[in-house]
Amino acid sequence: MVFRQKIFWRFLHQRNRVTLRQVSTASVVGEKVIAHISSKLTVQQALNQWAECFQVTGVSEPNLSSQHIIAHVLGHKTLNSLSKRGLTQVLSQPQVERIWKLCHKRLTRMPVQYVIEEWDFRDITLKMKPPVFIPRPETEELVSLVLADMEQRGGASRYPDTVDFLEVGCGSGAISLSLLQSQKQIRGMAIDQSAEAVALTRENAQSLGLHDRLTVSQVDVIKDADWLVKSCSRVGVLVSNPPYLFTEDLDSLAPEIQRYEDRAALDGGEQGMLVIDQILTLAPRLVTENG
Amino acid sequence: MILRWTCFWKSCVRIHDVAVKMTGIRGKLLVCCSQNHILQLSRTNHQTILDLLKNEAVQKYIQRLTDEYKLVTCTLENLNLSESDRRHFHQRRVELLPVVNAFMRTVHAAKDLQEVETILQSTVDAPTQDEQMVELLREEQTELNRRVDDLNKELIQTLVPVDENDGSDVILEVASGRTTGGDICQQFTREVFDMYEGFASYKNWNFDVLNYTPADYGGLHHAAVRVSGEAVYRWLKFEGGTHRVQRIPEVGLSSRMQRIHTGTMMVIVLPQPREVDIQIDPKDLRIDTFRSKGAGGQSVNTTDSAVRIVHLPTGIVAECQQSRSQLQNKDTAMQVLKARLNQSIMGKQTAERDTARKQQVGTRAQAERIRSYNFSQDRVTDHRISYMTRDIKEFMRGGEELEELISVLLEHSDREALLELVEASHPKLAKQQTTDKEGD
Repeated sequence: MVFRQKIFWRFLHQRNRVTLRQVSTASVVGEKVIAHISSKLTVQQALNQWAECFQVTGVSEPNLSSQHIIAHVLGHKTLNSLSKRGLTQVLSQPQVERIWKLCHKRLTRMPVQYVIEEWDFRDITLKMKPPVFIPRPETEELVSLVLADMEQRGGASRYPDTVDFLEVGCGSGAISLSLLQSQKQIRGMAIDQSAEAVALTRENAQSLGLHDRLTVSQVDVIKDADWLVKSCSRVGVLVSNPPYLFTEDLDSLAPEIQRYEDRAALDGGEQGMLVIDQILTLAPRLVTENG
Repeated sequence: MILRWTCFWKSCVRIHDVAVKMTGIRGKLLVCCSQNHILQLSRTNHQTILDLLKNEAVQKYIQRLTDEYKLVTCTLENLNLSESDRRHFHQRRVELLPVVNAFMRTVHAAKDLQEVETILQSTVDAPTQDEQMVELLREEQTELNRRVDDLNKELIQTLVPVDENDGSDVILEVASGRTTGGDICQQFTREVFDMYEGFASYKNWNFDVLNYTPADYGGLHHAAVRVSGEAVYRWLKFEGGTHRVQRIPEVGLSSRMQRIHTGTMMVIVLPQPREVDIQIDPKDLRIDTFRSKGAGGQSVNTTDSAVRIVHLPTGIVAECQQSRSQLQNKDTAMQVLKARLNQSIMGKQTAERDTARKQQVGTRAQAERIRSYNFSQDRVTDHRISYMTRDIKEFMRGGEELEELISVLLEHSDREALLELVEASHPKLAKQQTTDKEGD
């Protein structure tokens, strides 16, 4: 009996050691990361280190996060455009500091797009700022559909004071700005209920040189419906990527989204149809007969 | 200036030394190896490409083309031709016209030259006092000589069949070999990649990396790039195939033992047509993106913009992760896919192009190598034309040295193509020629 107990204790002891070792590796990774700030690092080493660090701390897409942030600091969009010679180059001190600063932001689960403050949407690069909603890849396809439709119907409207399209819930302005970028003669209007989104859309329009063809206003499509109908009737196209998630599902989203992105851009009410319904009710009063 | 020395095997070593001294710092040199190779080498010289015109078969071939041109012109003057025949003959006439024009110009120039030479000869036979006149005649003679040479080159250019892909852009792939010396293969693959990057910048071409899979210790597994610019395919088409490396590894046991390792890597060069006219049914494609792995839309935020497209009927795959925009990645991947599909479709239509790709892809066996890079002897050898050059470092910078080698390859292939054409158009004559040669 005593013998058995001994074995059991030994077993327990071993298990404890294993867990202890795991804990220590995690902290070692943390220490290593900090320790290396002073020593010379190549791009490849920094990449591996941060990917590992993100992995251990459970940050989603560890490899890609590390790649995007480091590429950004080096002044590239992706590491692919930085050929192999770039990977072995030694980072300068300011570069290392900036990488570490940005990667620590990422450790708090801030989305990469907010960390590097920009992202690509189709052929344009947009500034990203929390809590304005980050455009998703699917939306790129939505723009393709709208563009194909616009092309079919032919060019811009003949009246100088009317707009060709209205975007409801513009966020960072991705849809509106890429439409304006692809179609050089059209004019548009973008609205959003959030002041941050409106400001960011304006800023992006300015930096892309598209601001003179886009009107941006802070309008709530539910509360200010009457104003909206009055001020912009007869638009050719009504485009929107409205929130469509169920309210109850919002709490199960990834921490990146929950903590940093605007809930209002995602929350579609209990059935996910709150904003969509509103837009559809207003639509007949906003668009032209063949719109 | 690049000195090219052609010499016989026995005196080879001696002349080699002299040449090294003469060329001095540049140290660029080409040595021929054995008597067998001298023939092949001298074939590729500039002077000897003009000798082609003295080849009986080629002369007869040109004569036949001129005769045919006359015949076609006569037939076209005939009023009783049907519309389709007329169109046919007209087309043929347009095809023949540049050759005949070039030939006529060379004939005229040759006649002028002959006249000047007879006059010169007569002044030598019966010396006159008119020194100035003789001087003028001499000048004219050299001038005409140069003109005849230029015109002859032009004539050969018109005769050599044109590869319609020559002007198109290229998708270039490099992949490390499967041989056991993994590290040196991968390291060598990276060096070759650098060489082509250097060559592209030397030639002022665009060099867009589509895919880059690095390996450990600064090596490279596989990379694909799009090279665009002027006549890219013409310059790169002979680069496809297995490249062999022989060197002492920089690390490890073999390094200490000074043991030479052999490794291989592969280059695949596919022309990318400017206007791709392939229609792809969207149903035949499977597009893998981040979204296809699970839920997407507003509920997920991802930075994964990589796209992979599979063409289901053929199993051809293209992928891209170059851009942060998924849509742009998809467009690029689509272009690559189209280029690959185009290649395979064309390959089906023309058997020889199919074999060209097979030759490139090969079985990665060392026997099919096209070029060897011997680092320990500081030498690059192209096995197809037995061309050899020193200074491997300079060569792998992808500048003049590589250009020189490729231009020799091009001349060689032009010559082969022309001879092939002549033989194909007149098999009897060619046969007779070869029996003549054997008789010699």
